[in-house]
Amino acid sequence: MSDRLVQILEGNTFVVSDDRGDIEARAEDPTGLFSFDTRFLSKWVLTVNGERLTALSTDDLQYFKSRFFLVPGTGTVYVDATLTVIRQREVANGFHEELRVLNHRDKPVDLRIRIDAASDFADLFEVKDALKKKGKYAHRVVDGNLVLRYFRDTYVRETWIYSSERAAVDERGLEFAVTVPPHGEWATELDVLASDGEQHALAGRRPAHPNMARGLEKWLDRAPRMECDWQPLEHIYRRCLTDLAALRFSTLTMPGRSLPAAGLPWFMTIFGRDSIFTSLQSLPFVPELAATTLRALAERQGTRVDDFRDEDPGRILHEMRYGELTAFEERPHSPYYGNADATPLFVVLLDEYERWTGDTKLVRDLEQAARAALAWVNLYADLQGNGYISYQRRKAKTGLENQCWKDSWDSISYRNGDLPGFPRATCELQGYAYDAKIRAARLARVVWHDDSFADQLLKEAAALKRRFNKDFWVADGEYFAVALDSDGRQVDSLTSNIGHLLWSGIVEASKARAVARHLMSPRLFSGWGVRTLAEGEARYNPIGYHTGTVWPFDNSFIAWGMRRYGFKDEAAAIASGIMQAAEVFEGRLPEAFGGYQRSMTGYPVQYPTACSPQAWSTGAPLLLLRTALGLEPHDEHLLVDPALPDLIGNLELLDVPGRWKRMDAFGRGRIDTRRFTAR
Amino acid sequence: MRKAQHSGRSPNTNQRNQATRETVTRFFAELAAAGHVPTFERNSATLRFDVRGDDKSAGETAERWYVAVTNGDVTVSRRNGSADAVVRIERRCLESLVTGRLNAQAAYLRGLFSCEGSMAAVIMFQRCLPGPPGSTGRIGPLTSAQVMAERRAG
Repeated sequence: MSDRLVQILEGNTFVVSDDRGDIEARAEDPTGLFSFDTRFLSKWVLTVNGERLTALSTDDLQYFKSRFFLVPGTGTVYVDATLTVIRQREVANGFHEELRVLNHRDKPVDLRIRIDAASDFADLFEVKDALKKKGKYAHRVVDGNLVLRYFRDTYVRETWIYSSERAAVDERGLEFAVTVPPHGEWATELDVLASDGEQHALAGRRPAHPNMARGLEKWLDRAPRMECDWQPLEHIYRRCLTDLAALRFSTLTMPGRSLPAAGLPWFMTIFGRDSIFTSLQSLPFVPELAATTLRALAERQGTRVDDFRDEDPGRILHEMRYGELTAFEERPHSPYYGNADATPLFVVLLDEYERWTGDTKLVRDLEQAARAALAWVNLYADLQGNGYISYQRRKAKTGLENQCWKDSWDSISYRNGDLPGFPRATCELQGYAYDAKIRAARLARVVWHDDSFADQLLKEAAALKRRFNKDFWVADGEYFAVALDSDGRQVDSLTSNIGHLLWSGIVEASKARAVARHLMSPRLFSGWGVRTLAEGEARYNPIGYHTGTVWPFDNSFIAWGMRRYGFKDEAAAIASGIMQAAEVFEGRLPEAFGGYQRSMTGYPVQYPTACSPQAWSTGAPLLLLRTALGLEPHDEHLLVDPALPDLIGNLELLDVPGRWKRMDAFGRGRIDTRRFTAR
Repeated sequence: MRKAQHSGRSPNTNQRNQATRETVTRFFAELAAAGHVPTFERNSATLRFDVRGDDKSAGETAERWYVAVTNGDVTVSRRNGSADAVVRIERRCLESLVTGRLNAQAAYLRGLFSCEGSMAAVIMFQRCLPGPPGSTGRIGPLTSAQVMAERRAG
């Protein structure tokens, strides 16, 4: 996305405009006002006496608010500086815009101020593909307000545009004929509301959210306070918390509560996998995100077999969308269930959440959901009848090919670059299943009081671990295969997926050392972090999306896995590498960066992606803080077992929330990580 | 996906209307007979379905269904009481929902029914709706050779 575009958002409503505040959507420039995955304004252009304006400066005041200082004229050399136009815009249910025109002359001035407005009501999915709309448009003027309308059968979307000052309104915009007194000012307030039919708009003008700024302050205040010798970390920490605030998203069923959406702005929706991983990462800091994520996912847990949506009973959703293509079932996102990891991870999060917060009520409320998820793992996910989770989409046209986190088409390959058939059983899925069973057994004993279920789960887990360590172990390489193919054959490339296995605890103790050694070897560890695919494999490419880049989120879970098996130095090295990358990216880690050897480029090379911030990249430094400090809930206490890289020096994390109310954690960086990071 | 159709008059209209009514009645009867729905456990909510008829008097409520869920236990009646969620829907559309031919979320986004009150109650309720007829969950495996051939062709 081009740098000159300005984005502000609140929940799943966002505005992307140019630096003047104007919106002129084109296929290559996806600007507009978007809400619920629909574009409600594709044109919003301000002119004064028929002239466009030029930006003097643009301030992103907050993630939901921006201000544009403008002057008339578009000349690059000369601008008429006798007028200033200030637009201040805040996102709410649509947006609220304050438009002020200042006359700097000592004479009155007559102005024709016009805003051209239009909407194509494109579905987010259509924006980049420039698909043709199937419905009709009907714009009209109602009581002096402009209403843009799109309808297709019973599907209706409207944009209502109100002005506090009287305007001459036609179907293409609003015009003000005003006289601004000498050294005086003229102003109007504009409200643009997104609506799905007349009844909503008739409810009247909704004011912009008045407490948004205070809400952000409170959010930052509630999180633990961090102090550290290494200054960049304080900045990174604050950036992460602020970005997490921006990524908060409320569902229609739980308006007052929020969960982490996947990415800003195009992925402001529930993604099972992303919301769960981000909730896990942020548990020690903002535990309420996990609670809302669990409830929202349970509400929409699969209950039937639906091939179009890849839905099965017990399955946790993949992605939820609200646009026209979803409404007319041209896309399956209502919701779409095509992932193979969110379901066991749902159980993992439920247990981890209870260990931190002691909120047994939620665990009781979600008992049925957890049992259904575990049943999915055993029944519906076992596509090959071999006791492993596999995936294969049921609709080739609309389903997802790879239903694991590495979801691009070439992410799973043999050493020689060939792609395996379907169903595919990737290794980390088996780890998640193992962990889900172990953790559910604890919940069954402690909260559900069902010992026989707990026993059964432990038995299943032990059997799974035994089989897995045999079937997936690549003997000549001493690591775990990335997957089993449709013939049960090993997909034998060396990947970062083996790090997730450490996190899940499915790796036999005798094999852990070899796995850790591979992860930190020059083939996988770049000096910044662990690559998705090892150097030397046929598809390795340092800028291949899942075939060589370094993913901060991936690394944060690998570090957690390292700690689980006692590899403190290795965990510290990953924390050190990723934190230093975060410093270069000014606190905001991208989704992925290049897998080039660190000494080759000297700085991490950003992989171009449309979304920033990305939720699980935002959560990565938080999880790395946890693993570096060795924070672990134990009964009613918080255990602290620091293993910090020496880069960080002294670190204090104060008021860590949990079942112990609030506790402080301290650590001093003593681990020299240069043998890994100086590469 | 087929959309709920707005029927014109045809010789079969009455017969079809009759069948639609019976399908809807059967669905609620089965729900009541089950008495308990595991996926509703630890949920309590009431829903009222104000169902519009099939002919020209379509604007008026032709029948009502009142579903009360108490921690997974379900009772169904025809009473006209206040409810956490009031769903206004055409009978033909309701029939599509309860037979799995129409997805509830998609129908809502399309404006095929309206909901007043608790959206959470509606989301809970849709969990007891069946999947589309013909969905089996099964699909034949693909070999590595097929995947590579497709990639080369594509």
